[in-house]
Amino acid sequence: MNVNAQQRVIKVIADILNRKESEIDLEATLRDDLQASSLDRMTLYIALEDEFQRSMPAEEVTELRTVKAIVDFIDKKLQETSSA
Amino acid sequence: MNRRVVITGAGVVSPIGIGVNEFWQNCLKGKTAIAPIPAQWERYADLRSRIWSPLPDIDPESLGVARAERLQLDPVTVLALGAAREAVEHAGFALKPAEERSRNFIVSGTDASRAGVYLGTGIGGAYTFLHNHTYHLQQRARSLLTSYSSKHAPQTDRETLESVLALMSHGPRYNPFVVSMLMPNAASAAVGIKFSFTGPNLTYCVACASGTVAVGHGYKDIREGRLDIAVTGGSEYLYDEHGHIFRGFDAAKTLVHDYTDPETANRPFDENRSGFLFSQGGAAVLVLEDLEHARRRGATIMAELIGFAETFDAHSMMSLAPGGKQIERMVRAALTDAGLAPGDVDYVNAHGTGTKNNDETEADVIGRIFGKSVRVNSTKSLLGHTVGASGAFESLVTALSLRDGTTHVCKNLDKPMCDLNFVRHVEQCDLRVGLSQSFAFGGHNAAVVMRKFS
Repeated sequence: MNVNAQQRVIKVIADILNRKESEIDLEATLRDDLQASSLDRMTLYIALEDEFQRSMPAEEVTELRTVKAIVDFIDKKLQETSSA
Repeated sequence: MNRRVVITGAGVVSPIGIGVNEFWQNCLKGKTAIAPIPAQWERYADLRSRIWSPLPDIDPESLGVARAERLQLDPVTVLALGAAREAVEHAGFALKPAEERSRNFIVSGTDASRAGVYLGTGIGGAYTFLHNHTYHLQQRARSLLTSYSSKHAPQTDRETLESVLALMSHGPRYNPFVVSMLMPNAASAAVGIKFSFTGPNLTYCVACASGTVAVGHGYKDIREGRLDIAVTGGSEYLYDEHGHIFRGFDAAKTLVHDYTDPETANRPFDENRSGFLFSQGGAAVLVLEDLEHARRRGATIMAELIGFAETFDAHSMMSLAPGGKQIERMVRAALTDAGLAPGDVDYVNAHGTGTKNNDETEADVIGRIFGKSVRVNSTKSLLGHTVGASGAFESLVTALSLRDGTTHVCKNLDKPMCDLNFVRHVEQCDLRVGLSQSFAFGGHNAAVVMRKFS
């Protein structure tokens, strides 16, 4: 796992949900644990695209359930690009 | 019984300064912001005007707008939120977080149900519309053409194709918040949400008179007892990546086209004026308050609003009616509303766009009503034209002029088109009553009347 990418994902989630980074646990679910609404998850998708300068499918990103799932998704995206 | 209405706070984001103090000091210095239009605009059209008045680089966070908010808002709303935040704090209200992890506030010492928002805008979230429309229209076509250019196009055609592809530039995505970003009421709604105000929340969309009409209606609702506080003003954002909005005004031949010396090209009421200076936009917000409400909390009062009127030309979508009959009726009605006679007015902040037609009609009406002693200036001679925000900027300048007993010059006025008392020097003077007037595409006319508070 790309540690730097993980930190950046956590920072983006903290920013969007107006929480401290220390509150963002990898296993936390967005909806129940972090109380992210559907609009929050949509905003998160835009912020992740901006942060990583990658085009991502909105439907897929907004359905990711946990912080870890987002980190894994971003990690995969970054690997795809670097190996392309 | 009518209540007295005072201005207790203001906020500004403008081409010549962010924050009321910087803005006002720069007004008094006669500062302007003139620059060549963005180079990429000229790839799309042959333009007649080629200068504008840009905003400074602005970090939304510095306006109190967090990343999560910015991603869901058009710049017109970001500007409005920045100016409103300054205005509410400037008025001396303490802000408490609305709830845990909320970016919104409860404004202490107010009854939220008697606090309203009245903002004007000419084009609302047009930037968002154009930005996303370009993506909607171009993204798939550009993708197909890119593929063709790289895989199948003959080498000889590739240079042309690359030029075409460069013209088909678009943003990175179709924003899922596009509807709530572009709707004209977004700025008013965002300000109401930010301060948890549950009173009337209105957007006035009457082109260049929007800001004045918004201030006027907020004033009336407090005066007539429906509200204690109104956050009023205007916000506008006229930039887009392809210069589409600029082109619209340019094609209508409204923009300054004699720019041999760009610094002096914008010259309202001058014989050699050649149109208005297009501004990137900005926002000005005034906190209006019932006098007794303001006194109870010990607020500092900037000026008192005492009159408002509006009329409609019913003549042309783009031209003032010759003779300015409805403008004159509007100004006289505003004076009657204030219980004043023309001779009581010391200062007129003119609409003063710098177009041949506007300045000629306006100067004629001012001369007819007020004679030649009233001081006259045009804030557009400094800012350029901020369309739906302009009336709000000009209301603010009127209030500050009354507060400080001085006002800014009518910039670049070398050869006045007539012998009105245009402000040529910044000096202390006895300013007791001021009137700020706006006229708009469509035919809307409006003015607010203010007096020095004592």
